[in-house]
Parts: sequence; C-alpha cells; structure tokens
Amino acid sequence: MTSHDDISEERAARYIAVQNSQEFAALRKKFRGFVFPMTGAFLAWYFLYVLLASYAIDFMATPIGGTRITIGLVLGLLQFATTFAITMIYARWADRELDPAAAALAEHMERGDLR
Amino acid sequence: MSAVASGWGLFAIILVCTATVAVGALGLRLSRTTSDFYVAGRTVTAGWNASAIGGEYLSAASFLGVAGIVYSLGTHMLWLPVGYTLGYLILLVLVAAPLRRSGAYTIPDFAEARLSSRRVRRLASLLVIAIGWLYLLPQFQGAGLALQTVTGASPAVGSLIVAGVVLASVAAGGMRSITLVQAMQYWVKLAAIAIPCFVLAWLWLRGGQPLPKLTDPGGPFAGALPAYPSREHPLYATYSTMLALCFGTMGLPHVLVRFYTNPDGRAARRTTVIVIGLLGAFYLFPPVFGMLGRVYLPSLPAGTRADSVVLLLPSAMAPGTLGDLLSAILAGGAFAAFLSTASGLTVSVAGVIDQDLLSGAMNRRLGGDLPRTHSFRLASVVAILIPYAASWLAPSVTLADTVGMAFAIAASTFCPLLILGVWWRGLSVAGAAAGLIVGGTLAMGATLATFVGVGRGTGGWLPVLLAQPAAWTMPTAFVTAVLVSLATPRSIPVNAARAMVRLHAPEEVTARVRPSSG
Repeated sequence: MTSHDDISEERAARYIAVQNSQEFAALRKKFRGFVFPMTGAFLAWYFLYVLLASYAIDFMATPIGGTRITIGLVLGLLQFATTFAITMIYARWADRELDPAAAALAEHMERGDLR
Repeated sequence: MSAVASGWGLFAIILVCTATVAVGALGLRLSRTTSDFYVAGRTVTAGWNASAIGGEYLSAASFLGVAGIVYSLGTHMLWLPVGYTLGYLILLVLVAAPLRRSGAYTIPDFAEARLSSRRVRRLASLLVIAIGWLYLLPQFQGAGLALQTVTGASPAVGSLIVAGVVLASVAAGGMRSITLVQAMQYWVKLAAIAIPCFVLAWLWLRGGQPLPKLTDPGGPFAGALPAYPSREHPLYATYSTMLALCFGTMGLPHVLVRFYTNPDGRAARRTTVIVIGLLGAFYLFPPVFGMLGRVYLPSLPAGTRADSVVLLLPSAMAPGTLGDLLSAILAGGAFAAFLSTASGLTVSVAGVIDQDLLSGAMNRRLGGDLPRTHSFRLASVVAILIPYAASWLAPSVTLADTVGMAFAIAASTFCPLLILGVWWRGLSVAGAAAGLIVGGTLAMGATLATFVGVGRGTGGWLPVLLAQPAAWTMPTAFVTAVLVSLATPRSIPVNAARAMVRLHAPEEVTARVRPSSG
C-alpha cells in the first residue's frame, strides 16, 4: 500500500513539474495560437458563404463566362477544397512544429532539465 | 416500378446485406480481446480507418437527402454537406488530440478521467444512449422507405432487415469486424453513387439537353433563401443547423471512438486528412443527381418525396434495362448507408450500456464469471431493439430533421463538456453536471415538443426555435457550465492539474510518466 502511494505521489509531482514548466506553457501557447485563429477563420468563411447565398442571390446566380455554371456553385465547391486544404495545413504544421517540440519536452523531462 | 426492376433492386439489397454479414464474420475470426472488441486494438491503419469513418458517417441523409435538397432548393444547399465535413475538422483541431491522450474510449470515460466523478460519467452515459437512439431512429425509418420505393414492400420489412443485419454483425464481431465492414461500405457507397452518376451524366451530354438553371429564386423550385424556405425564419433555421453540424459532430457517439483506433496522434491526423478527402469526393456526386433531376424530372410523381430523386432519376432518363440496373445499384448503395451508420451507432451505444449499466449488475448477480463479450452482445440487443420499436411509434418528422436534432443535442451537451474540459482548468464537477443537465433538458425538450407538434402551423418563432434549437441551447449550456463552475470553485477536482497535463502534454511525455505496466 505504501509503495503504491509513493508511486502515485511521485507521478503527481512529475505532472505538476510538467504543468509548471515554461516549456509546457510555450507548447500549449503555440498550439492555441495556431488552432484558435484558424478555427475562427474557417468558420467565418463558411458562415459568409451562407450569408451570400441568403442575401446576395443575384451575385451568387451570376453565370461564369457563357456557361450556366454560377459563382454560387463555384464558391460551394471551393468550400470543400478549403476544408481539405486547411486539414492538410494543420496536419503538416503539427508534424513539423508540434511533434518535435513535444519530443524535446519529453526528452528534457527524462533528463530532469525542464525549463 | 416494374417487377424486373424491383427484382434487381432486391438482389442488390440482399447482396449488400450478405456481404456485410460475411465481412463481419471474417472480422470475428480476427478479433480476440476486449480491446479488439471496443476499439479494434488500435491496430487499424490510417487508410482503413479513414474508409471506415467515411463509411460510418455517410448515412441516408447523405446518400439520398443531399440530392433531394439540391433538387428542391438549388445548389446553395451545398452548405449542408460542407457542414457535415467541417464538423470533422473542428473535432480534429479542437479536441481530438487531447482526447486521445486522455486514454478514454468514450465520452463517459473522458468525463470520469477529467472530472473524477462517477455522477458526471453516468449523466454522459445516459446522453450517449439518448443521442444514439435518436440517430438510429431515422436509419430504420429510411430503410423502410427505400425498400418501399424500390420493391413496394411494406416499410416494416426494410427496417427489420437493417435491424437484423446490424445485430448479427455487431454482436458477432464488435469493433474490429465493424471496422472492416464499414471500410468496405464506404467504397460500396462511393461506387454505387459514382457509377450511375457517370452513366447518367454521359446520357445527358449525349442527349444535348441544356444544363438546368442552377439557381432560380422564385421559379418552380422556389427557394429564395438557402434553407427551409417553407419555414418562417429561414436564416435563423439555417444558422442554427450550421452550428449544430459544426459543433455536434464531436459529440456524436459513433464518431469520437474512431480516433482511438489510430496507433498515435500523427496517424490520427493523417486519418482525418483522408476522411475529409473521402467525404468531399463522395459529396461531389449527390448534387449532380439533384441538378439532373431538374432537367429530367420537372415534377415528381404524386406521393413521392424529393429524397427519392436519386432512386427515380435512372428510370426517368433511361427507361428499360439500363435504368433498372442503375436504380438497383443505387438502392444497394442506400442500404449500405443505413447499415453502416446503424452499425457504428449500435457499437457505441452498446458499449456504453455494457460498461455502465449491464456488466456491473450482471457481475453482481452472477459472481463476476461472465465473459465480457457476452454482456456486450446482450447490450447490443438492447441498443437495437428500443430504437427499432420506437421507429414504429415515432411520429413522421422528416428524416433530416431527426438527424439534425441529434446533432443539436450533441452540440448542447457534449460540445461544452469537451471544449471546456479540454481547454479550461476551472471547470468544476458541479459546473459540468449543470451544463449537461441544462443543455440536455432544453435540447431534448425541444425535440420532444417538435415530435408532438407544439406550435406547429402557428407560423411564429416557437416551432422554428424548437425544431432548430442549437443556436440557443448550445450557448445556454456553455454559460451555465461556466457560471456554475465559477460559483463552485471547491468542486474543481483536486487532480485537475494532473488531468490537464495528461490532456495537453505530448504523448511521449505521458507515456514516460505513466508506469510501464500501463
């Protein structure tokens, strides 16, 4: 029983050390700084599309060239393209920026030189 | 529909059902442990997993509903499938990675890990069951309608087939076999919609008919506003639905568990990229049916719904064998859609019933000797039978509306729990519980009120607010959770700091802090 308590005490202390480290704070800030503005931007672009479809009906129904393909249709298909592009950008950013920083944090914790 | 046509349609449906059971049985031979049963042992590759997610997510609403909506309201309605896709992206960037790290398989697991509270866990379990059942209801009803359209059989037959096939494959193989089944069903659905689409588009090009007017407000396909022109406050209804789609996806019981079937965070991200690609590829086709419907089906036969435009178009464009064949392929695809969504929901609901309600009670009674898989099988029977019975009693609210309400309830309960739980250390047990209770009561109350028809036909705000509740119930739930948390700082769990590190520290860190025994 005592040894179990010792282990969980030690684990709790390690968690607190991570939580209080500047490196962990920087990592979270980095994540939030990328993800929150991006979420806001793609939501705004999506809601704008519906707003245009509601109030700028004539604009959305404008044919492109001599065809019957309209601006509204092109913007609608673009919504799919941007959703895919944003997901790609996020995944590549996380692979390139987030994972190495996370690995460094894990390394420092292992060696006990958390900043 | 002719006897030959209905014969082919029946053949396609039987083929899809048989393949589902057969692939499920194959999965059964591969699944051995409880972990396999619930999350496929985290051994599923990104491509398979993404196909399975796509297969599970593309329900009747996507296969038939999107074309019907574009047919009746125009290409503006592309916002609906965009919303279905965007919900995944929001789930990925805001909560997927922290949730994976929490090590919880389900939302109730997350609630317990983050808040150390059995009570909040039980609340979350009840909500998972409620949302799952509400989402299963239209799958059964849709299957009945589709079989009726193709073969003229009574709607009871179609829903019974779906219930039986789902029960057989879920109870037999659990999550691993379901992963295989659903991965297959994505490709069945894509082929079943793409092949007829290419054939019909080629017929249209050869026929020299003009492209239909894509948007004509005030025309015979009236729709001055993008959504629900028949309703009183269309812009409100549209935005409320969009909110529900964007923020409800993360709280759907069958969606989240899929992120645990990836071996690590990097694979989970790669899976999501593929999922969005797969969903986007699929959604290119239904609008084509809607647009061609405007050329070849200027008016629908009396008594048919716009939802059936996909199934009716082939015989309108190519009467005879070719049309019959294409209709049969489409009917098979529609059945794949009902089966896969219903299977995913059943696995999730059964998992929760098993873990939180059944196994404890059964172990007490039987002395803990019962194998885990037995109680899971019993739970899947319960998970299916109740919504199946309810599909007989439920009033005829449209399929898309019922699905929309499930999204709205998820957005008003689990979205605040997940977002505040992941991003705000100050969330207290009382605050989380109050948010779930207030959001759940309001959204479910609005759903019930819509089912019994409160305010229907009065033309005021009330029926619109009740039918599309997310825009007011979701913010209310957030505010309640935050205010109650601020008022009860003592009920912030003592190990909140540790839970937050586990959620936000990279997996390498938590792996090293955790004892190696796991």
